[in-house]
Amino acid sequence: MVICGNTIMDNIIFELKDVYFSYLGKFPALCGIDIRINQGQKVSIIGANGTGKSTFLQILDGLIFADRGVLSFCGQQLNEEIFNDAKFSREFRSKVGFIFQNSDVQLFCPTVKEDIVFGPLQLGLAKGQIQKRLEKLIATLNIEELLDRSPQQLSIGEKRKVAIASTLIIDPQILILDEPTAGLDPLTTRNIIDLLIAENNSGKTIITATHDLHIVEEISDIVYVFGRGKSIVKSGLANNILNDPALLKENNLVHIHSHQHQDKVHVHPHVHLEHHV
Amino acid sequence: MKSNNFIERSIVGGLTFLKDSIFAEEVAQRGGFLQSLDVRVKIISFLLFILQALFTGSIPALLFLYALCLFLGLISRIELVFFLKRTWFFIPLFSLGIAFPAIFGPGEPLLSWQILGAKFSITHQGLQGAVVFVIRVITCVSFVVLLNITTRHFDLLKVLRIFKIPAIFIMILGMCYRYIYLFAGIIQNTYLAIKSRVGRGVQYQQGQGMVAWNIASLWDRSVGLNEEVYKAMLSRGYQGEALAWNDFKIRTKDWLWLFAVILLWIILFLN
Repeated sequence: MVICGNTIMDNIIFELKDVYFSYLGKFPALCGIDIRINQGQKVSIIGANGTGKSTFLQILDGLIFADRGVLSFCGQQLNEEIFNDAKFSREFRSKVGFIFQNSDVQLFCPTVKEDIVFGPLQLGLAKGQIQKRLEKLIATLNIEELLDRSPQQLSIGEKRKVAIASTLIIDPQILILDEPTAGLDPLTTRNIIDLLIAENNSGKTIITATHDLHIVEEISDIVYVFGRGKSIVKSGLANNILNDPALLKENNLVHIHSHQHQDKVHVHPHVHLEHHV
Repeated sequence: MKSNNFIERSIVGGLTFLKDSIFAEEVAQRGGFLQSLDVRVKIISFLLFILQALFTGSIPALLFLYALCLFLGLISRIELVFFLKRTWFFIPLFSLGIAFPAIFGPGEPLLSWQILGAKFSITHQGLQGAVVFVIRVITCVSFVVLLNITTRHFDLLKVLRIFKIPAIFIMILGMCYRYIYLFAGIIQNTYLAIKSRVGRGVQYQQGQGMVAWNIASLWDRSVGLNEEVYKAMLSRGYQGEALAWNDFKIRTKDWLWLFAVILLWIILFLN
């Protein structure tokens, strides 16, 4: 599977050099981000609330643009002008899929079916092809009974599944996910993790922002930790990051937990790493 | 907060009405006759019925159309009492009020009496005009209500395309429909949050302030949501021209129904 059309630069898909972004020009959201993401990698961005994870993902998806620094996609610099080119925009949107944290944002059509087929219709896929992909997704995600329902009639887990379906139907080579398991029950979380692993095994690149540490190891080849300074404080293998309690505590990713054993109060750093097995 | 508080009554009443009238699709999901028809065919046939009711001055023809409407309701699994309550509420009763003075209009007197020297007569022409007016209104309202409750609202929106309304308008209407519900939930939750924290009755002026604050807060949220939804559209390939999925299918049953309606329309028109 070749995303960029050639094998330049060791299959680097995204490359960010010293990227800065601020809201309204005065509220910094990202400060000096340097990241390289290779084809087929599983990358996780972890960090507490307000560390710029969502902003970073939106920059990757070309929804907002950096104030300073360079973002390249397949060696081509991404900026507002390049998205005015309809051909480039269509190609980019066909290759990069984004799953929003708030499914209510992503599901804007009156019915689930219309929401799912919205993407491929805009990208000019033939109706027969869309129908085929839809049928495959229905079987994979078990969502047939939801198709004619309105998104407001769905539970949070169902909404998340439909939001994922509405992106997967485009069959993007790169999946960007913003907090995909936030607020979900353990079984739905497990299903989503399994789905992401399967997608990665089929060659897709998975980029996930989360502060849910118990899913990180499974969905990451490399982990970037975003800190309060809206920058990367550390990156490395998931195992190394997750076994650094000082780093996690410093970045609000674990908390001091106290509980009582009969008459003794026991205090230790608390992190959920072994749930959902 | 007292149960008869004006804020509670307004919010709960408004939201209940919104949910009942806009989002109640339970009837539309029943397996009745009208629910099984193609929406486009159903709309065309109902338009023909309404036009017929508007143009005919014959009371028997109007009564036939009204009876047909009730019959269609029955074979579409709609309870008669529920339907009559919906259709006779407000508009037909209001039209009855409007039509009442017309029965005293010029014409051949049917019944006359005097009050304090003034002579009043119910005339034949006046009574007929008033009856035609009321039956026409109730027939048209009944057909519109029947169409509305037997059709899913997003299907009604999609059908607007056959009237050449641009897809972007239909899409925006669809989004409004989608997000009104979301905002209705937010209003309800905000109200409950206020209620859980206010342990005494709210004064009229204070209540007005709360409502105003709620409106401002909702506006702010809707602006934020608008930006996020637009990003979600962009991310899935939207480039300024919305393309929509069309899966309507006209079957033999629909063609037969349309043929029968046109035939009936011609017979009524010729008589």
